[in-house]
Amino acid sequence: MAAAGGDARAELDVDVDVDAGPGQEKYDAEENVKIICLGDSAVGKSKLMERFLLDGYRPQQLSTFALTLYKHAASVDGKRVLVDFWDTAGQERFQSMHPSYYHKAHACIMVFDVQRKVTYKNLSNWYKELREFRPEIPCIVVANKIDADMKMTQKSFNFARKFNLPFYFVSAADGTNVVKLFSDAIKLAVAYKQNSGDFMDEVMRELENFDLQQKGEDFSDKEESCPEEKPPST
Amino acid sequence: MTCTAKKCGIHFQPPSIILIYEDQNQEKTRKRIMPIRNFSKFSDCSRAAEQLKNNPRHKAYLESVSLRQLQKLYSLLKGHLKGQSLAQSLEQVQREEAIDPEEDMNKLDDKELAKRKSIMDELFEKNRKKKDDPDFVYNVEVVFPQDEQVESCGWDAESDEGF
Repeated sequence: MAAAGGDARAELDVDVDVDAGPGQEKYDAEENVKIICLGDSAVGKSKLMERFLLDGYRPQQLSTFALTLYKHAASVDGKRVLVDFWDTAGQERFQSMHPSYYHKAHACIMVFDVQRKVTYKNLSNWYKELREFRPEIPCIVVANKIDADMKMTQKSFNFARKFNLPFYFVSAADGTNVVKLFSDAIKLAVAYKQNSGDFMDEVMRELENFDLQQKGEDFSDKEESCPEEKPPST
Repeated sequence: MTCTAKKCGIHFQPPSIILIYEDQNQEKTRKRIMPIRNFSKFSDCSRAAEQLKNNPRHKAYLESVSLRQLQKLYSLLKGHLKGQSLAQSLEQVQREEAIDPEEDMNKLDDKELAKRKSIMDELFEKNRKKKDDPDFVYNVEVVFPQDEQVESCGWDAESDEGF
């Protein structure tokens, strides 16, 4: 697929239902953010999620979409934020994710296992795919399972530095830096949403407006009012 | 009945799984011998372990014995039935236990992936700080300095230009 830039509009012609999945219109609403997790099988994505949410998590298995959704209510600068964490539910085994997985995401947490080199090597593939769909969203690189070998925390991993991405050493088992990781991801997602300069977002908005004008109907406030799409209040 | 497993092992002749456990009601240490039937060198160790764990007569006693451990014991028996020495069988079990850091687990089927996950889960559970542990802290922040002095992980080197 073409890289970000002038070809983005052409990419949108690809016949894929990006809105497939649980009502993604809601991510346009101000208080909703979507954070996606990426990384190889068995790097501990779900375990990180569960460590952060503890008993507070209510995962929704959406097997039709090969996806697990974790809902979380957070507070950023005194404002309530509803976060949907998207976890892959094994979809990573198809070597790539469905475009709807990336659609309207505001931040990404990319995980590898410090015990397994191959999961680190594969980061470049995940990152490439992420940037095809979301050229600008914040992405955090996470080295998980440091409890298995603390010596790994004294080593340097160039991947994050190379792309100028934030990098965390974490352990889902003993909890090291898990809460910090997710709190920071939520802050980054909210900040991104507020000053979204993402070219794809602009194109999407333009296309949506274009569509509405063509129908000659005044649905200009459509984006704000999709009450049926809101998650149940927490 | 409440019992805590202390040790679980295998006897080759006659084939049986032996459990040493503590009966909490009577504060006594007891031994339970569970005979193994219908097991040959062609049998499936995972299935045998599952069957034993779910056996209505033994279930309550084996609650705190992991499925993995039972599988290992059956593997040792299987090795014995194939004529391997104990040392050989132990080595083989250990090899099966090891995670190959080069293996791309994205390519495994459900069963194989579940096997790897259960191996890795053992360490996870061992190192795990649970919510109910007295020393549990929700937010653990540790700063790991990543300056130029630290040693390279060695995983970037050969294909750094690939990134």
